[in-house]
Amino acid sequence: MSALLEVHNIHTYIGQFHILQGVSVTVPEGSITALLGRNGAGKTTTLKSIMGLTPPQKGKIVFAGKEIQGLRPYEIASLGIGYVPEHRAIFTNLTVEENLRIAERRKGDLKRKADFIFSLFPDLKRLYKLPAGNLSGGQQQMLAIARALVPDNRLLLIDEPSEGLAPLLVRELMSAIRQLSSEVTILLVDQNFQMTSSLATHYSLIDDGRLVCSGLMSDLLKEPETIRRYLGAVV
Amino acid sequence: MKAYREALVSLLIILGIVVVVYWSFGVSKATAILLSGLTLASLYFLLGAGLSLIFGLMDVLNFAHGTIFMIGAYIGYTFFGNPRLILNTLPLFLTLSAGVMVGNLFYRWVGQQNFLGKQNRLLALFLGLIGCISLWWGLKRFPLRPLVAFEPTTPGGAIPTALAQEPLPNMVVRLVWMALSGLLLSLAIRLWSKGRERPVILHYYASAIVGLIFTAFLILLGRNVLEKFFLGLPVDLRFTLAMVAAIAVGAVLGALIESYFIRPFYGRPIAQIVLTLGLMFAGGELVKFIWGKEGRAPISGPSLFAASCISPNIFAWFREHCSSIYIFGRAFPSYRLFIIFIGLFMFVAITLLLRYTRLGMIIRAGVQDSEMVEALGINVRRVFTFVFALGSALAALGGVVAAPFVGVYPDMGGIFQLQAFIAVVIGGMGNYVGTAVGSLILGLARAFGDTLVTTGFTLPGMAQAWKASPAIARASIVLVMALVLLVRPAGIFGKKG
Repeated sequence: MSALLEVHNIHTYIGQFHILQGVSVTVPEGSITALLGRNGAGKTTTLKSIMGLTPPQKGKIVFAGKEIQGLRPYEIASLGIGYVPEHRAIFTNLTVEENLRIAERRKGDLKRKADFIFSLFPDLKRLYKLPAGNLSGGQQQMLAIARALVPDNRLLLIDEPSEGLAPLLVRELMSAIRQLSSEVTILLVDQNFQMTSSLATHYSLIDDGRLVCSGLMSDLLKEPETIRRYLGAVV
Repeated sequence: MKAYREALVSLLIILGIVVVVYWSFGVSKATAILLSGLTLASLYFLLGAGLSLIFGLMDVLNFAHGTIFMIGAYIGYTFFGNPRLILNTLPLFLTLSAGVMVGNLFYRWVGQQNFLGKQNRLLALFLGLIGCISLWWGLKRFPLRPLVAFEPTTPGGAIPTALAQEPLPNMVVRLVWMALSGLLLSLAIRLWSKGRERPVILHYYASAIVGLIFTAFLILLGRNVLEKFFLGLPVDLRFTLAMVAAIAVGAVLGALIESYFIRPFYGRPIAQIVLTLGLMFAGGELVKFIWGKEGRAPISGPSLFAASCISPNIFAWFREHCSSIYIFGRAFPSYRLFIIFIGLFMFVAITLLLRYTRLGMIIRAGVQDSEMVEALGINVRRVFTFVFALGSALAALGGVVAAPFVGVYPDMGGIFQLQAFIAVVIGGMGNYVGTAVGSLILGLARAFGDTLVTTGFTLPGMAQAWKASPAIARASIVLVMALVLLVRPAGIFGKKG
């Protein structure tokens, strides 16, 4: 498996704060890669840096063989990266349909993908014409992921999808993400280690804005000490 | 139910005003007040719509908006009454922008060489200095006064020949200086900021440059013919062209302001506010410099609304084109109905744009979260520029339709901008429908307040009319705003409240 996305030693500042102090992530093509770390470790900032929303001052980001650091967010997205941000960021004053339609990069994207999206998230078909603000938290999360599926993306960046969802919904979400992984490569951030460890094939672990270690998820699970130390989770 | 609450509240407020007005003044007088209110509301809306869209999408409080309204009014007024000024100055602007475009092309070559290394900024300063000098040479002793000193021409009349135009050879020299300064200045700016090159399609770009220069010379050489042509046009057509010219100037100004002044400061609201305030003052002084400190009386306007008679009803007006129409027994100026029509038309047009086009969808989404819109792969900066240009064009249109109603004067920008700001605040910052409703409430309140001053107010059973002092009329607007904000601190349609 070759790497679809390679983040080399990036440094990102927000205001005067040196948030990322050398983060590297490798996302092999076709994998689900988990970006692990505790609260405030810099996971969300890493995703935002990849998208160009908080552009890194130093370091290199290579997507599909092209250097993308310094490009504008819309240029980065147009190369085939879908972003599902923390707190969903769906457009509540638009209808569900408009939330999907706005993500079209070419005419007819939505038409081609509609069946696939509805097979993953059947609820959305029923709610298609409603304002997205009327949706429940879980439905909004589905919509946020569906929105990233409308154009032909090669990579999805998904940030905290299980946040605030009931356990039953988390299970539904997990099965959807698992189904997705046959179509696109995924870089996943989530506090729920149970969920990420069962989904992901690869991982990168960061702490205090620096890379700690990375590799196969199955190898990480053999090191409960590392997991306890950096994530506070017990396997 | 919740979604309709705002609409219900605002409907109640408006209905309340209307009922009080009808109850105390009787049908014919009340209708006149309402129509006056609608006229004002329409102008407030044309200004406020842009303010609201720009604030909603870009979080920019644009204090230069009223200035664009005023410039629109002046441009339309001048185009209508004295095209000579525009025919003589337009070539200068065209060659200047052609020079800027050549400079951008040139930068692609210079920027790639990078032979100066760190001395880039020094070179930029040097080029900028020469650019300014050549700009000064280009504009030195331009005969602005005689070109501006005009009486509004009567329909079909000619401009007095005493107004001097510069001889052609001098003008050509000016054009060369302008092109040179455009080239140097744009090169200086690009070198200073070391901006990333934007990809351009070369042959479109080149043909645009050639087109600009060609047009500049065409206008210059044909300035006498063009002047005769414009003044010979039917008055209505001339007014329509004046509207188009003002809209175009407004749109171009808006796009320029956004891309050169606002764009470098996104995310720094204080800088933007100070900057647009500065533009407001600079624009006001520029207008005073070009057109003089004194205002000018309203022109007669398009002949559609100029025949000196009173039509018995709207349908008769379509045949007679009288300057007034009887509505419920009272004569009302027909041109003001036209202003109301323009306001309504623009409201509907923009509502349709926002609701049913992809661009409108992007704008609505961007109002909520423009960063997410960009992360979806949409060049949201380009949408910003478009919305800025659209809002400015609306303001300029407002200015030009206001000119035959209130005349043009250097304070009009500030005065109307303040009203429009209040309308936007009442409606809820950044909410488009809210702005329309706010304008409506404000216009009605203003007209009602004015009536209180001029004729007074009689409740049934009162022996004598109660007359308010003029201060009350002006205060009535602020009073309405205070009332609305007490009940809903974020405005009627505001998000939080």
